Amino acid sequence: MTHSTKAFYWMAVPALVLFVTLHTVPVVTGMFFSLTDYAGYGKWNFVGLQNYLSLFKDDRVLASYGFTFLFAITATVIVNVLALGVAMLLNAKIKFQTAFRGLFFIPNVLAILVIGYVFNFIFSNSLPLLGQSLGIDWLSTSILANKDLAWLGIVAVSAWQSIAFSVILYLAGLQTIPAELYEAAGLDGASYWRQFSSITFPMIGAFFTINMVLALKGFMQAFDQIVALTGGGPGTSTESVSMVIFRGGFQGGEFGYQMANSVVYLLVIVAVSLIQLRTLQRKEADF
Amino acid sequence: MFQLKQGRAKALTAALAAALLAGCAPPPAGNEVTLNFFQFKPEAIQEFAGLIDEFEAANPGIRVLQNNVPDPDTAIRTLLVKDKTPDVLTLNGNASFGLLAKACVFADLSKEPSAKEVLPAVQDILNANGRCNDSEINGLPMANNASGILYNPELFAKYGVSVPRTWDELIAAAETFKAHGVAPFYMTLKDAWTTSPALVNLAAQLQPEGFFDRLNAAGADRANSPVSFSKDYQEVADKLLQLFKYAQPGAIGVDYASGNKAFADGKAAMYLNGSFAVPAIRAANRDAKIASFPYPVTNDAAHTTVVSGVDVALAMGRETPHRAEAQKFINFLMSKEVIDKYAKNQSAFAPIKSAAPQQDPALKGLASYFTAGKVAGYMDHRLPPSIPLVNITQQFVLDADKSRYLNTLDNEWFKIAARTPKRGDQQ
Repeated sequence: MTHSTKAFYWMAVPALVLFVTLHTVPVVTGMFFSLTDYAGYGKWNFVGLQNYLSLFKDDRVLASYGFTFLFAITATVIVNVLALGVAMLLNAKIKFQTAFRGLFFIPNVLAILVIGYVFNFIFSNSLPLLGQSLGIDWLSTSILANKDLAWLGIVAVSAWQSIAFSVILYLAGLQTIPAELYEAAGLDGASYWRQFSSITFPMIGAFFTINMVLALKGFMQAFDQIVALTGGGPGTSTESVSMVIFRGGFQGGEFGYQMANSVVYLLVIVAVSLIQLRTLQRKEADF
Repeated sequence: MFQLKQGRAKALTAALAAALLAGCAPPPAGNEVTLNFFQFKPEAIQEFAGLIDEFEAANPGIRVLQNNVPDPDTAIRTLLVKDKTPDVLTLNGNASFGLLAKACVFADLSKEPSAKEVLPAVQDILNANGRCNDSEINGLPMANNASGILYNPELFAKYGVSVPRTWDELIAAAETFKAHGVAPFYMTLKDAWTTSPALVNLAAQLQPEGFFDRLNAAGADRANSPVSFSKDYQEVADKLLQLFKYAQPGAIGVDYASGNKAFADGKAAMYLNGSFAVPAIRAANRDAKIASFPYPVTNDAAHTTVVSGVDVALAMGRETPHRAEAQKFINFLMSKEVIDKYAKNQSAFAPIKSAAPQQDPALKGLASYFTAGKVAGYMDHRLPPSIPLVNITQQFVLDADKSRYLNTLDNEWFKIAARTPKRGDQQ
């Protein structure tokens, strides 16, 4: 080993130490406590896999998985469809293009908690007023107080906020497509739809994949938007997995049990992301 | 407990605030002792600041540092995880407090002179939530709340309704107001917890004797348990639903703050809340007309009790290095003068034998029950906090599915009993 390569190894050490002490050690400690009945304080006993077995029998946990997947998949689809549309509009030759791009990015800069409280007010006060004056029955009361509709309110706010980020990624993708492709297609008489399905979409395949994976992963961890909008209610109808972990672990004194839930959820998220990457990457165009 | 649950976002900042706690104490000068005082009640910061000044003036050499954080139930846990138990604490005497006491993180205060002054009925309620080794006294009640029905005496007089003393009279009163186009009760269903004052009062008077003790004794054995929610809470659920049938239109979108304002402005005849709502209602309208009576749950007026919980419990860290100073401070806070003043300013009930009775006209209807010892504890303080009771109850009030409601409660209870057999944490 030459002197200079050794130096590079040593330069990586501080980062490695920081990563291990601030990330790996807490994660492993947490995994250990998932095998105990630790409440977060006081004495604890080792319970083996008891917590994991109980998880699968806990209908509240199972319901939260159901809600989270329903929410995450819906939001991911909505975000990606709309973000791609907005990105294509912003990529077209329009006036004030830069100004529009800046404008569309604003929702992503605001804190989701703040947005959540603003939308909470809109859903609870403004929309019902509108619903009453138009005579629409389901809109006359707050949709956040309706256990069948509350999740749509959360989807709407989450999508509104995260479309901005996806738009940026799609815009970057759209700019990698050479203009000559469209010129050639135009000469051949291809319609706009044909140009989109045969050129645009295949060419930004990699961006589509990463957007889908990031969006789904992000939405599966939904927490703050739910806190701000419904607090998991009405009833327990909008409790996401993160919410159950927080409530049970920190407020309910079941630290060990919810740690087990976190470990399972970590594995679920990793598995879902890997499957998604595999299937989507196969469909990407190679060039 | 109720004032804690309003802020949902507060939970997020709690951990951060707790982390900052440790860093904000300046080093003590010379041989001065600084007591770390964890004070959970945001409404009482000024009150305690004044008391601390008084205490410090009388006890040179002791400094008391008041720390107040949002969502104290979560914050105290984060402090405990880091082994930073405060020297002196005030906490709400709820289920969470019981769990902590049971985990032996607080000192035994049974030998303190002020412990002998506490009303026995009140101390029993606090002890029933949980205590170390089942024998110690881990918290001294400094102030109590009482849950009752608040009413607007002007509206009662206007429509010739007298204060209901039985369940039938209560329903008749509600019907009278409804017939005159006045909202009988103002309901605030957007905040799930506002369903629980009615629930705890119904449960306290209708559940069989020793319900929770027998439920605990049954352990995880749901099939052979002598008591269960499905068996013994039928009437509670029926009457709860009956009360919430009188909700004003749009109640599911109304929050607690709006409810306080509406009641303060005379928009409803009654309000299913307790002493803890009185300061908030007065804050919304200083001239609000408020009076109170206990929930007449049965048709036997002699059976009526007031549900009361320890609003402020004083505790001491078990391992505090400043035990003598902490004792001094606690006994100061438990003195008659301090408790009387606190109860008057914070619309609370004083839980010591020598205290002056509560003179607030808004609370007079409840005061006699309190001093006569006709008090019962909060039923929700006996449930493990990991059961989302208020959310489940809110769901029930919205969908009126009784069998599902009671089954969910049983299900949650026995599920937790099954997965924590060794802890014995459940109350």
